[in-house]
Amino acid sequence: MFVDSSGRRARLLRRLGLLVGAVCVGYAAVLGLAFMGVGISVNPSSLLPFGAGGDGPGGPGPGSGAGPQGGVAPTGPPPSAGPSTSPSAVPSAASTD
Amino acid sequence: MTTPTTPTAPPSPPARGRRRAPSRIGRAASRAAALQRPRVLLALLLLLALTCVMLLDGYLRAEVGGDERVRTGASASDVPDDVLDGGPILTFPGGQATTVSVPDKTIVLTFDDGPDPTWTPQVLDILDEYDVPGTFFLVGSMISRHPGIVRDLVEQGNEVGVHTFTHVDLSYQSEARVTREVEQTQLALAGAAGITTTLFRAPYSSETNAIDDYSWPVYQNLGEDGYTSVFIDTDSDDWKRPGVSKIVEWATPEDDEGASVLFHDAGGERSQTIAALPKYIEKMKAKGYTFTTVSGAMADQQSPQQQQQQEQESQQPGGGRQPEQSGGGLQAAHHKATGATLYEGKALVAAVAVAEWTVPALSVGLVIVGVAVMGRFAMMLVLARRHHRQRNRRRFSWGPPVTGPVSVVVPAYNEKECIEATLRSLARSTHPVEIIVVDDGSTDGTAEIAESLGLPGVRVVRQANAGKPAALNNGVRHARYDIVVMMDGDTVFEPDTVRHLVQPFADPAVGAVAGNAKVGNRRTLIGAWQHIEYVMGFNLDRRMYDLLRCMPTIPGAIGAFRREAVLQAGGMSDDTLAEDTDITIALHRAGWRVVYEEHARAWTEAPGSLGQLWSQRYRWSYGTMQALWKHRRSLTDKGPSGRFGRVGMPLVVLFQVVTPVFAPLIDVFTVYSMVFVDFRAALLAWLAVLGVQLVCAAYAFRLDREKYRYLLMMPLQQLAYRQMMYLVLIHSCVTALTGGRLRWQKLKRTGEVGTPAGNG
Repeated sequence: MFVDSSGRRARLLRRLGLLVGAVCVGYAAVLGLAFMGVGISVNPSSLLPFGAGGDGPGGPGPGSGAGPQGGVAPTGPPPSAGPSTSPSAVPSAASTD
Repeated sequence: MTTPTTPTAPPSPPARGRRRAPSRIGRAASRAAALQRPRVLLALLLLLALTCVMLLDGYLRAEVGGDERVRTGASASDVPDDVLDGGPILTFPGGQATTVSVPDKTIVLTFDDGPDPTWTPQVLDILDEYDVPGTFFLVGSMISRHPGIVRDLVEQGNEVGVHTFTHVDLSYQSEARVTREVEQTQLALAGAAGITTTLFRAPYSSETNAIDDYSWPVYQNLGEDGYTSVFIDTDSDDWKRPGVSKIVEWATPEDDEGASVLFHDAGGERSQTIAALPKYIEKMKAKGYTFTTVSGAMADQQSPQQQQQQEQESQQPGGGRQPEQSGGGLQAAHHKATGATLYEGKALVAAVAVAEWTVPALSVGLVIVGVAVMGRFAMMLVLARRHHRQRNRRRFSWGPPVTGPVSVVVPAYNEKECIEATLRSLARSTHPVEIIVVDDGSTDGTAEIAESLGLPGVRVVRQANAGKPAALNNGVRHARYDIVVMMDGDTVFEPDTVRHLVQPFADPAVGAVAGNAKVGNRRTLIGAWQHIEYVMGFNLDRRMYDLLRCMPTIPGAIGAFRREAVLQAGGMSDDTLAEDTDITIALHRAGWRVVYEEHARAWTEAPGSLGQLWSQRYRWSYGTMQALWKHRRSLTDKGPSGRFGRVGMPLVVLFQVVTPVFAPLIDVFTVYSMVFVDFRAALLAWLAVLGVQLVCAAYAFRLDREKYRYLLMMPLQQLAYRQMMYLVLIHSCVTALTGGRLRWQKLKRTGEVGTPAGNG
């Protein structure tokens, strides 16, 4: 039973194993890189309009000038717990245990 | 579990390797290592990938690295007053904190915590219907799980901002973590929609006057990196679900002031938000308000020439923004993701998709295993009890007592340590026996020892080394009586054993009887583990299989057969490495009944080292699979063969192949839950399962009147022995798939098992 003397099945499986192993390594590598943020540049300072030049959008002026100080009114006190529902709490249905 | 069969004949394999290792043992070891090393490596890689998948999944659900702390009521003495009193859009051009307000009669709709597969599309429909843009502050983990929604959202002309990856309060996090949270979110965004963004909103933030000394550095650092932090003017507080009218009222700014308004399109049940949004938009439109995005509001507040200048500057370094797509600067914060960011982002989204599929699939596997294991325990307890009661009832009998002489076949290959004890124990038998020792070409004088004992009724048959099945067949041919008892050369019977073992043959339907094999050398740790395993296997499994009439294996250490039945089945076959399982299944298929006789005890020597145990079990599990495969046609047969195929086979496959193959999941999930989810709950669950097993084991020990103290080894068994057993099974599955040749390996014997009474 089960014996394959030609060795073809073993070869096939060895290749499959290699492939699976490579995929596993690749997966771990991608996650490692993505988690640590290796090799990416999403630092927007290089992209931003007011990068180097000190003359941004009119210094501190315009914003607060036209500003709706009153708009801050409705809820005075500190942020409170805000929407305490962190996204993680949402769909943990069919997960771990 | 398969049961003891002692290997008798290693047909010295032709040397396959080209190089000659110095010794036979060395050669075998190196061959085994060469066979196993790639497998071990692959197994480790699979484990690594599985760990990654689970960690990622846990990270997405904030089980891994989650932090639910939210800071409140901290002082704000370090925060500049003009920021506290300023507009909701905070930038740091040239390192200088600057706030921008939303222009009068303008609303910036902002939605936090999305995307959510239920609510976000509904929000998008509403925005589309009223033709107003929104600004969505997205959580990275949600982006990576629902990339399609983000793509739609961006294509529809809405603006997006970063709301961290896991929705943590950044004021508690290290600078490195803050950077990671933002970068990971950007990656997810790049992978989902091909863009990055310069907008940011901190979780649990609200108005600028709520910035405190702990969150201020976060905004400062991010601002110096070029991020625009966006706060709010009015808060709909829709997450409190106060009712539609309250949401609309709270979201409405006073007078005709402009406002950055906070809604939530995720993080809980949001039907009130969905209901309030159209009403709010209609109300504000009626008041003459216009709607824009954060970038739109910033552009409106800037003088035209500044705007122009900026646009020119921005074209140079990043080459990023796409004015074509972004309806008139409404998406000015977006930049096209390129190069490594784009590809890594896509890889991240793909990796998350894999995890999103894998983890539920594994959970289903785990549930199947859990149900199978627990169902098996329940079934075993019920049936073992019934079996015990039935067979030990005072009135129970198989028929008229069997008193005629029987033949005992003892195949022996190099058993010089044990053969004497074996034969002497048979000679003390209370049942008349003829003893046929089949010497399978031993080189250690086993046959001579057997002859020199001068015991009455012992015949020694010699044959050239041909393997255990051939030796058994040879013995059956030489047997004079109709009932043949088969045992191993290293097994010791009690005086009553044979008498008990043959009584079921009073029932003419019974073709074979399995005895009760016991581990003699149980004083070592692995001896004790195997002892527990044997007691459970014989007192629970075998009783269950007996009543279900589908016992898969008569143990090679102790079994009795009707000679006629064995001959009818064509004798023992060397098709498989588990000839005992093979013949048992063949008897079932021929319509014979196979029963278990608990009182017929045989003492056997269990492998004393892990290496020996490994090779024994490797052979058993491989042989069992071979036997199942050999008899696969019984699945579609009619009559008794079909019955075994449809009742016995599935049970054996489920309990002896599928469950053990998936069993590693139990360990992986247990460890994961202990480390990341809830240590106490996971530990309790583990202890509960252990408790169930202990109860079953204790019952088995009670049925066999064994001493309970060996059960102390059981928790340890869960931590090493069980893992070894499933590794063996997986290993033999792979061998079966590759079609490699697996051979008998003679176990080393010490001959220490001798006195049945003294053990225990």
